[in-house]
Amino acid sequence: MPTRPRWTWLARFTGTLAAGALMVYVAFRLDEGDLPMYTRMGLAAIVAVGLSLLMGFAGQISLGQGAFYALGAYTTGILSVGLRPADRLVNPEAAWDPLVALAAAPILTGAVAAVVGVPLLRLRGHYLAFATLALHLILLAALFAEDRFTGGQDPGLVGIPQLEVRGHVIEHARLAAVVWGIVALSVIMAVNLVGSRAGRALQAIATSEATAAAAGINVAMYKLRLFVLAAGLAGLAGGLFSYYLLFLSPDAFPLITSITFVVMVAVGGMGSVYGAVVGAIAITYLEDKLRELGTREQLLGFDLPVQAPQVFSIGVFGAILIVVMLFAPRGLLPSVQIATRAVARRLRRRTQAASGAA
Amino acid sequence: MEVDDLVVQYGPAVAVDGVSLELAAGERVALIGPNGAGKSSLLNALCGLVKPAAGSVRIDGRNVTGQSPGAIVRLGVTQVPEGRQVFPTLPVEANLLLGAYGRDFRREPVSATIRYVRRRGQIQQRLDRVYTLLPALRELRNRPAGQTSGGEQQMVAIGRALMAEPRLLAIDELSLGLAPVVVQALSEFLLKLNADEGVAILLVEQNALLAFELCERAYVLEAGRIALEGTSAELGENERVHAAYLGGLEVEA
Amino acid sequence: MTLPQLVLAVAEADVRTLLQTLVVGLSTGSAFALVGISFVLIFRTTGIINFAQGAFAVMGGLFTVGLVDDLPTWLAATIAVVVVGLIGAVFGFIAMGFRGRTTSLASLIITLGIALLVSSLELLAFGDRPHNYPGISESSWTVWDVVINPQYALVAGVTILAALLLTLLLRKTIVGNALVACADQVRAAELVGINVRSVTMIAFAVSAALSALGWVLLTPVTSVNYDSDVAIAVNGFAAAAFGGLVSIRLAYLGGLLLGIAEQLVVVYGDRVTDQARQYELAAALIVILLLIGWRSRHEVEPA
Repeated sequence: MPTRPRWTWLARFTGTLAAGALMVYVAFRLDEGDLPMYTRMGLAAIVAVGLSLLMGFAGQISLGQGAFYALGAYTTGILSVGLRPADRLVNPEAAWDPLVALAAAPILTGAVAAVVGVPLLRLRGHYLAFATLALHLILLAALFAEDRFTGGQDPGLVGIPQLEVRGHVIEHARLAAVVWGIVALSVIMAVNLVGSRAGRALQAIATSEATAAAAGINVAMYKLRLFVLAAGLAGLAGGLFSYYLLFLSPDAFPLITSITFVVMVAVGGMGSVYGAVVGAIAITYLEDKLRELGTREQLLGFDLPVQAPQVFSIGVFGAILIVVMLFAPRGLLPSVQIATRAVARRLRRRTQAASGAA
Repeated sequence: MEVDDLVVQYGPAVAVDGVSLELAAGERVALIGPNGAGKSSLLNALCGLVKPAAGSVRIDGRNVTGQSPGAIVRLGVTQVPEGRQVFPTLPVEANLLLGAYGRDFRREPVSATIRYVRRRGQIQQRLDRVYTLLPALRELRNRPAGQTSGGEQQMVAIGRALMAEPRLLAIDELSLGLAPVVVQALSEFLLKLNADEGVAILLVEQNALLAFELCERAYVLEAGRIALEGTSAELGENERVHAAYLGGLEVEA
Repeated sequence: MTLPQLVLAVAEADVRTLLQTLVVGLSTGSAFALVGISFVLIFRTTGIINFAQGAFAVMGGLFTVGLVDDLPTWLAATIAVVVVGLIGAVFGFIAMGFRGRTTSLASLIITLGIALLVSSLELLAFGDRPHNYPGISESSWTVWDVVINPQYALVAGVTILAALLLTLLLRKTIVGNALVACADQVRAAELVGINVRSVTMIAFAVSAALSALGWVLLTPVTSVNYDSDVAIAVNGFAAAAFGGLVSIRLAYLGGLLLGIAEQLVVVYGDRVTDQARQYELAAALIVILLLIGWRSRHEVEPA
């Protein structure tokens, strides 16, 4: 891959800044009713960016981003509520400053990822896939079981204070704006990473691990870093989530959450940071629509069963994964790019042939 | 076999760029050239492993371009692949039998197995013939193919290819990784096979000397194109060939 | 829960409970072993890890549930296993994707998608309650003061037979040999004329049938639900990982060990924490992680 000239980088940077500013602005202009979904789209985008890098460059699938998300959320939640595990009492004196609690989330998830990732990333992709799946399941079990710490399922972790920065309460529109601001920052950071020297190493790894290793690149270390980065981003998003919901329960983080993130990246594009954001937006929207569709009593004359909402999401996501992986394996956005480039090349060749250059 | 203007590419990289060659029944032809010249790609395209981007391959006048390897085998062309590629965990005899099984395979395993079982008698005869031609294999028949030496594996690979009763045997890098003594023995065997059974041979080789000894004609492939062609005798004298592949023409005193 | 604590807890228990736990563990382990073998079979032949393996198992159980009202149990079970085998072949075809275009990682995601799709259809057809059906016998055996449900014996026995039969088929029949050939050297197998795609479909069919068999036999003592497939898949993968994803024998052993370990955690774990049942799965998973960590120090897998 040729190194990008300076001005493309600048164009991307300003473009992303502008888009980010736009999204932040939109946050303030939306109706109250649309804000929740908008916020959730942003949160998903943060996770998706990290996962997209991992899947696109390290070629590894993490089915546990939902676990890091949950871990981040609970870390922030517990720290900011202040718990004395001995008597299960909410103890505001033990509470941390919300901003610090938020910062703790990505640090913790990153650390966990580092520990888990060291043995796993040296192996082929499916080991990590299952292990991260396992991680999510174990975490769920722990969240349900250790209800002295987490509040379990009932009543859950209640009373999370709102995020306050220097006296300003960050909620609703402001929270959405903050979330999207962080999305923009994550995208910029990711794009920077891809364009940097480390990014070139990552490209090499993505093309062929064997060649990259032969060229002296420490493949395992790069993969680990991407995994930790993805986990950190997911943890950060999780922390923000707890300030959005102000209440936590293990029911909020079912296994399908992890899978949904994978769907977002698969659709939007592995390795394509912008694609990941688009994927996050699209899938969050789809998810909402499916749920809405499923809670209706009837559809097209058929009586819908009680479980319809879940059926729709699970089934539709499954179908999407199959179709996308078969026909657009690099994700929809990149596939469109590749397709247009191929068409352009063929046109060019045809005009060359026509002008007798063959 | 006739090949016309064949083009093979992997994505944007062109491995074979418009190659034409031909081979008559019972001939021994070699394909030499440096590493990466596209010899293996050419062979793989001929044997149906890779679909060519352009050009055609004909066997007995019949266009077989892009057909499956199984179809090519049924038309009488089998390949002894580079690096032997025997099935390591299976005993030698199983390797050989698979050569016969594969020939009648067609679409799916159930009918293939039925056909195989019905022709058991014939296949057993073929097996005995191969053991006669390559007696060393009879000794090794129950040993896992992965536990045999390089030379023995090459014999297994050739035997496996012969189980399909080919009229043309395509061999990719006969001498790779083998001791000269072993290569010599194999070489003699192939000459005898060609003389007695009339099996044509298409040999892809880096070792040009071996190629000229074994084959009557040769093509020189460089960067995906035929650079030279002719009889082994002619090419053996050719200066360029000597310089590149035979270590320089000795100046006559 | 630390190892010394576990050992202590085990030592304190009476032998009866221990034996009982072992029996249950062996039979759940047998079912896991079958799933693990299925993983190995598909992985060796195609390099694909089939996420939907758990879904095959669950399909077996649920189909039997659906048929058992109208047919004798053994017939329902047999039909279910065969049908799942056929469905497995179809899914395998889909998962293999387009030759050259579909990477093995993409195939993994496709199998994940298949598992999700199957899960949702099962939910639609069977609802979200766990299902069950009667097993081989209502009464239990009493051996050495230990009460054993004969179903457990059935599972373990059939499983061993199935595994042996599979190994035999692979080694002695020509089709089995062809399968192994495709697993070891796919290019050479193609060159010889074997249609690798169709052979891999057989691998998928056999795998699906095996997983279904294990679970069909186990359901009477466990129950089956539309979302059981994740736990089954993870356990099966752990068993397969024990064999490095390539050894059938080790996968079988791994499955048994896993089953026993899980049961030990469930039965004795509540000395340590009263939520032990929740950690049943955690036991499996810690085992995988440990195994993998240990393995990666001794091997470097090719990319």
